[in-house]
Amino acid sequence: MGSGKVLIAIMGLDQHEVGAIAVSSALRDSGVEVIYNGRFNMPASLAEAAMQEDVSLIGISVHSWEYLYLIEDLQRALGELGLSIPVVVGGSIITAEDREGLLEKGVSAVFGPSDSMESVVAEIKGMLV
Amino acid sequence: MGQTGLDVIGDAPTMSMIDADHPYSKYTAGTQGVSLSTLQDYTDLLDGVPLDNISLSASLPPAFAVSGIYLASQENGYDPSKLRGSTIQLFLYAEDCCYAPMMPFGLRRRLASDSVAFAAREMPKFHALLEDTYYISDGGLNAVEEMALGFVEIRYLVRDLLSKGHDIDTFAPRIAILLKADMDFFETVAKVRATRRLFATMMKEEYGAKDPRSMAVNITSHTSGVALTAQQPINNVVRGASQALSLVMAGVQSLEISTFDEAYRTPSEKAHEVALRTQQVISLETNVSNVQDPLGGSYYVEHLTAELERAIRKKIDEIEAAGDPGELADKGYFRSIFVNAMERYSHQVESGEIRKVGVNAFQIPQEDDTLLRDEAGGKIEPCAEHIASVEEFKQRRDQTKLLEGLRQLHDAGKEESVNILDSIITCYRANASVGEMAGVLREAYGHPYDPLNATQSPLSGI
Repeated sequence: MGSGKVLIAIMGLDQHEVGAIAVSSALRDSGVEVIYNGRFNMPASLAEAAMQEDVSLIGISVHSWEYLYLIEDLQRALGELGLSIPVVVGGSIITAEDREGLLEKGVSAVFGPSDSMESVVAEIKGMLV
Repeated sequence: MGQTGLDVIGDAPTMSMIDADHPYSKYTAGTQGVSLSTLQDYTDLLDGVPLDNISLSASLPPAFAVSGIYLASQENGYDPSKLRGSTIQLFLYAEDCCYAPMMPFGLRRRLASDSVAFAAREMPKFHALLEDTYYISDGGLNAVEEMALGFVEIRYLVRDLLSKGHDIDTFAPRIAILLKADMDFFETVAKVRATRRLFATMMKEEYGAKDPRSMAVNITSHTSGVALTAQQPINNVVRGASQALSLVMAGVQSLEISTFDEAYRTPSEKAHEVALRTQQVISLETNVSNVQDPLGGSYYVEHLTAELERAIRKKIDEIEAAGDPGELADKGYFRSIFVNAMERYSHQVESGEIRKVGVNAFQIPQEDDTLLRDEAGGKIEPCAEHIASVEEFKQRRDQTKLLEGLRQLHDAGKEESVNILDSIITCYRANASVGEMAGVLREAYGHPYDPLNATQSPLSGI
């Protein structure tokens, strides 16, 4: 299914990049093709980029609470383009409650500080096959 | 609560000079800091703050903060020439790590240089050149990289000011450094000591300072945020205390402890109180501050200090030999240093090379990790009211006066010999917003008004 490419990005004005860069680098080390879209992505333009690049998965790194709104907007934007690309979210600020909420809203996986990089990479790769 | 300093940190839009009513601010205004878009916001923020006996540290866009604080202090009845405080300067690395201003290098340099010159003229007690190596290093730079990059930035700005005819002794006494404490206790002590030596040598021998105050740099510090863990957050109180103790023993002039909840949320008020109390326990109960430089003469600390001094100097020379720092910034030279450091740090934690209790040593099951967890729940909602008030403020303005001010600022942007802050002050008085001022300055430097492509320049079509 799909290209097997992963799009990693940070949304809105959240500017913390450590997590996104670490996950991108670990995925690349394990042989996954990663498009790192960096900071300042808004839902519509990110959905557009996902379509252009024909990615199989979108990973959003979050370190600011604005994700609580932007993830929903992203899902809506993907829907409007008729795309059903899985979205995964990771970040240390996600509480157990937020995690449940995200999964309910259709986010495919949520990663927090207790997940090892190994398990994050394994889970993402599992979703690509 | 016993504070003698006030730390003001902008929210994400403010740090990027984006107004509260910009589309990108909708979900984030006021959630990670204070939202400052207009002079009114500065005046409201400082309303009731006793500026005559408090030191104000501003982690804000420096040129707009210096002029905003200058005007707001006048409006609130204080003499700006007596203001104490600081603003961070990050012009070399700002696009590469955290809170990008989305401005070309020449404009970033200009805003930094002009704000230091303005403060030297109007606010002589204010540290307008606070070199913030904390900001750049908390992604994973090591001590040598942190201080070398910090010095490269200070040196660049010093040379720029000297080339414009400013005497070193008019501004060097107000240069300060905000560095990062880290968990390595003696390395932190040695880093502070090596930094003082390097600074004094440079100012005296390379830049011809004669005033002893120009050679004695003020050092402030924050304890590391990246050293904190989301796991077993109470351990972060211990991490803060240990780092703070190393800073006090190194003789920093001031410090702040990153709160125990910072690994997973914007700090809560209760966590701030714990951080403040930690400092007060060290200050009042341990007696470590009774003597200056208590570790001086220790063979180990002296050795580490000398080693770090040599290694930092070598790294500075290496970077400066690679080319003009402004060009290096544009070519992504610094960006690759930061990205490599972030990757290196995450590999070191993953592999266990850096031991983190609760992360790669002595973990406990997530369901047992409940102590202090309840503090993590409360979120700060985006401030819709403030967004609306900025929108309303913009509609009430005298448009003619506003456009005149912005036009003047745009023209001043093209004229390198004038101090841009004088025009920023005119604009603030004409009720221009920071986003508008930053935008017309970008235009003066040949860049788009709004790099995020969501708002229009007020000067377009005129």
